[in-house]
Amino acid sequence: MPPLLAVEKLEAGYGPINVLHGISLTVEPGEIVAMIGANGAGKTTTLMCLSGVVKARGGRVVFDGRDLTAEKVPAHQVVRLGLAQSPEGRKIFPRLTVLENLQMGAFTRTDADGVAADVEKAFTMFPILRERQHQAGGLLSGGQQQMLAIARALMSRPKLLLLDEPSLGLAPQIVVQIFDVIRELNRQGMSVLLVEQNARMALKVAHRGYVLETGRVTFSDRAAALLDDPRIRAAYLGE
Amino acid sequence: MTPLLAADPAAAFGQFLLIGLVSGLLYALIALGYTMVYGIVELINFAHGDLFMLGCLLSLEVCLLVGARTQAEAGTAAGVAAVALMLVAAPVFCAALNIAVDRAVYRPLRTAPKLAPLVSAIGVSFVFMGVGLFWKGATDVTFPDLLGPPIPPDAVNAAPPVPANLLEGTGLRFTFKDLMVVLVTIPTMAALTVFVRYTTLGKAMRATAQNPTAAQLMGINVDRVIAATFAIGGALAGVGSVVYSLYFNTVNYQMGFQNGVYAFTAAVLGGIGNIPGAVLGGIVIGVVKTLGGAYIGSEWSEALIFAILVVILIFRPNGLLGARTREKV
Ligand SMILES: Nc1ncnc2c1ncn2[C@@H]1O[C@H](COP(=O)(O)OP(=O)(O)OP(=O)(O)O)[C@@H](O)[C@H]1O
Ligand SMILES: [Mg+2]
Repeated sequence: MPPLLAVEKLEAGYGPINVLHGISLTVEPGEIVAMIGANGAGKTTTLMCLSGVVKARGGRVVFDGRDLTAEKVPAHQVVRLGLAQSPEGRKIFPRLTVLENLQMGAFTRTDADGVAADVEKAFTMFPILRERQHQAGGLLSGGQQQMLAIARALMSRPKLLLLDEPSLGLAPQIVVQIFDVIRELNRQGMSVLLVEQNARMALKVAHRGYVLETGRVTFSDRAAALLDDPRIRAAYLGE
Repeated sequence: MTPLLAADPAAAFGQFLLIGLVSGLLYALIALGYTMVYGIVELINFAHGDLFMLGCLLSLEVCLLVGARTQAEAGTAAGVAAVALMLVAAPVFCAALNIAVDRAVYRPLRTAPKLAPLVSAIGVSFVFMGVGLFWKGATDVTFPDLLGPPIPPDAVNAAPPVPANLLEGTGLRFTFKDLMVVLVTIPTMAALTVFVRYTTLGKAMRATAQNPTAAQLMGINVDRVIAATFAIGGALAGVGSVVYSLYFNTVNYQMGFQNGVYAFTAAVLGGIGNIPGAVLGGIVIGVVKTLGGAYIGSEWSEALIFAILVVILIFRPNGLLGARTREKV
């Protein structure tokens, strides 16, 4: 089977500065792939590039058989192809209700019944969202906002879910809960590209991992192998 | 002081309040265009008042085209046709023009520093004024009083009849024209509120205003949503231009500046970016302007408006409704 996502020599940046200097990675169907790296390594830029929000300056992004870079697929079309993102910092719509936030996640869909059923699924997955469904998104706690961000991304029924730092700033038991959800989603068949500062948790849940340093992939291996690699342990696992 | 004021102060106050409310609804309609555009692209669209002016000139053109040139046509087939036609033509024209300007001028500057589109908006304002000057000349042009009382055919040279008072016996004066302002502006604003709150496009507008990047990640075409916002703001200015022209019966190429300033002030007063705020701000401006004009002197009403703006912004920097911005677009 061809990879669900194949990134080849991706280059991107902001203004005169290049941030990504030729990133290559793949995600196979059904995989969780972790991407770890220090602050400023270019992880968020990579994900934004995949979502079409940041324009690629070189290289290719092939998703589900479609060459997004060659076809110049605009950001608002990427979701329709099955690539959804829960962004860094959650980016909840603060003055839309929780329910409206979820509906925005299904913006590209026209099957009202299917959307309603998926809202129900989201509420089953995160019961707190059901309780708060008529509250403004901005009034949720950080952990609740993270749940909403993930649920919102799932509302488009993606083939690949991009998660940018879902554990950022959350209490340890919430982080465990979020990672349980990621594992469960994957068990149900969802492919995930997971960006994390919390390298240990990420590599434990992932099948494979990539290490990014200043816009380049410096290591890539099975997650278990990366967890055992002394260089990774020293640089990213605090040992 | 006006004679009315001396005769019956309480009734006079009520009357000025009523006039203020009616004109405030007009400012509100224009203010909505400022506030919606600001809410979504953080641009003070200085050309908005002049867009309103062009809507007024177009409405006049419609009258001339249909043959409704004077008050004599009020109530005739030509008069009714002119009003109906301009209520369609002016909003469509202003919406189309606003979209075109966004596409040609503001969109290329979307990622530029905020000052660039702002200065461009001032430029567009001057271009619009130039167009208005070229179109209808530099002097005031009378706009046919098509909502005034119909003139009987045998009385063409007599003094025009006095419009009927719909509130006869209450001590207040409220004519068919006043009623028309209320009947057009309030349903328009109600429709806008329902649209923004409940429709998919309305929600997409609010989402885009609150976080454009996240909106893109949801598959929202942000450029399209912004264009729609300019279209709606323009259409509201178009509706406003028709009502204004029929109400005040004078138009000229400079009218966009002053009314634009009032409307913009109304938007800031209510909390820029906030839809109910713009309506409230418009009404406050209308009332203050009318009461100020009546009790202090019309030469002071502008100074008064800005004094109140300053005071309110000192105590509520985000405007009257700016703090609890649930319905901010
Ligand atoms: N909008 C932007 N404009 C200019 N430079 C940016 C922008 N966003 C990121 N950068 C720069 O690009 C580089 C990579 O940033 P990026 O956010 O992709 O890193 P990251 O790996 O996600 O870091 P973190 O772990 O802190 O989230 C950094 O040097 C950053 O300063
Ligand atoms: Mg990041």
